[in-house]
Amino acid sequence: MVTPPPELGRFAEPALLILVSLSDGPKHGYAIMADVEQGTGRPMGPGTLYAALARLEERGFIEALAPVDRRRPYRLTALGATTVAEQLRELSAFAELGLRRLGQAPR
Amino acid sequence: MIALLLRLYPARWRTRYGDEFEALLGERPLGPFDVADVLLGAIDAHLHLRGLGSYSEHRRGFPMSLRLGGVAATVGGALWLAGFVWSSLDPADSDPGGTVALLGSIALLIGLAGLSAFQARTHPTLVWAAFLLPAVGGAVMTFGLVMMAVYPDKPIVGDVSGWFFFIVGLLATMAGSILFAIATWRTGALPRSGAILLGIASAISLVSFFGSSALGEWLQALFIAGFLAFPIGWMVLGLQAIRLDRPVMATGAA
Repeated sequence: MVTPPPELGRFAEPALLILVSLSDGPKHGYAIMADVEQGTGRPMGPGTLYAALARLEERGFIEALAPVDRRRPYRLTALGATTVAEQLRELSAFAELGLRRLGQAPR
Repeated sequence: MIALLLRLYPARWRTRYGDEFEALLGERPLGPFDVADVLLGAIDAHLHLRGLGSYSEHRRGFPMSLRLGGVAATVGGALWLAGFVWSSLDPADSDPGGTVALLGSIALLIGLAGLSAFQARTHPTLVWAAFLLPAVGGAVMTFGLVMMAVYPDKPIVGDVSGWFFFIVGLLATMAGSILFAIATWRTGALPRSGAILLGIASAISLVSFFGSSALGEWLQALFIAGFLAFPIGWMVLGLQAIRLDRPVMATGAA
C-alpha cells in the first residue's frame, strides 16, 4: 500500500526547500532565500518565501525566534524535522523508481 | 515602492510579518521578478487568510494529541509500574497498589488514543487498526481491576471473576501493544527506539506468560523482566513524544 507523505499543502515545493534550508540551524528570510538559491540554482521570490513560511509556521513545522535588527530567524520544530525527513525519503524512493524505469542507475 | 507593496497585504498579515518582510525587501534592489512575486504573494495572503481560522483550529489538534498522548503514556506507564510493584510487595486485598495500577491503565488508554491520533494523520488505516486491540484490551483490563476492587475474589458473571477480565484484558493489551509498536515503527512519526522497546517487552511478556509455569524459573524471571519493561516501554514512547513536541534546533541564527 502506498502511504501518503505528511502534508505540506499548497506551496509544497518552496516549503520543502525552506525546511531543508532550516535543517542545519535557524535562519532569517534573506538567509533562507540565499541558501535556497545556492542549493538549487533558482531564486525564490520574497512573496513565495513568506507565503510558505506563514503556512509552515501555522502547521507547527517551524517557529519564529526573537527578531534581530528587524530580521526574524525561524527554526525547525521536531515535527518539522520528522516531516521533512519523511518527505525526502518519499522523494528519494520516487527518484530511484524513475531512474530505474529510464534504465539509469541512481548516482 | 516597498511601502506600497506592503500596503497590498492584509492588515492582519502585516501585523505579524510586516516588519520583517519590509526588512527583507530592503536587503537588495527589487527586480521585476521580485515585484511580481510579491504581488502574487499579496493575493495569496488575502485568499489564505479568509480560510485561516478553521484550518488552524483543525491543525492544532495534531500537536495537542501528541502532547496529551505523550504525557498520558508517561504518567500511565509510571503508575502502572508503581501499582504492580506495590501490589507484589504487599499483596493484601486492601493495599492501594491496585488503585494506582487502575489509574495507570486509564492513563495508558488515553496515551494510546493520543499517540494514535497523532500518527493517524499520515497512516490512518494502519494506526487505527493497530489501536483497536490494545484499546479493547485496556478497557477490559480496567474493568477487571475495578471489579477486583469492588468484588474481591467473587464471580461477577457466572463463575467469572474480575481477575479473569483483568488477565484477558492484560494479554490483549500486551498483544495489541505489539501491533501498536509495529504501526509506530512503520509510520516513523515517533522515534522508533521506543516502539522497538515496547514491542519487544510486550512480546517477551506475552510469550513467557504462557510458558512460565512449564519451563522453569528462568522463564519466570524473563516474564517478570518483560512485565516490568512493558510499562517502561510506554513511558519511553511517551517521553519521546513529549520531546518531539519541542523545538529540535537550539543553535544561533544565521
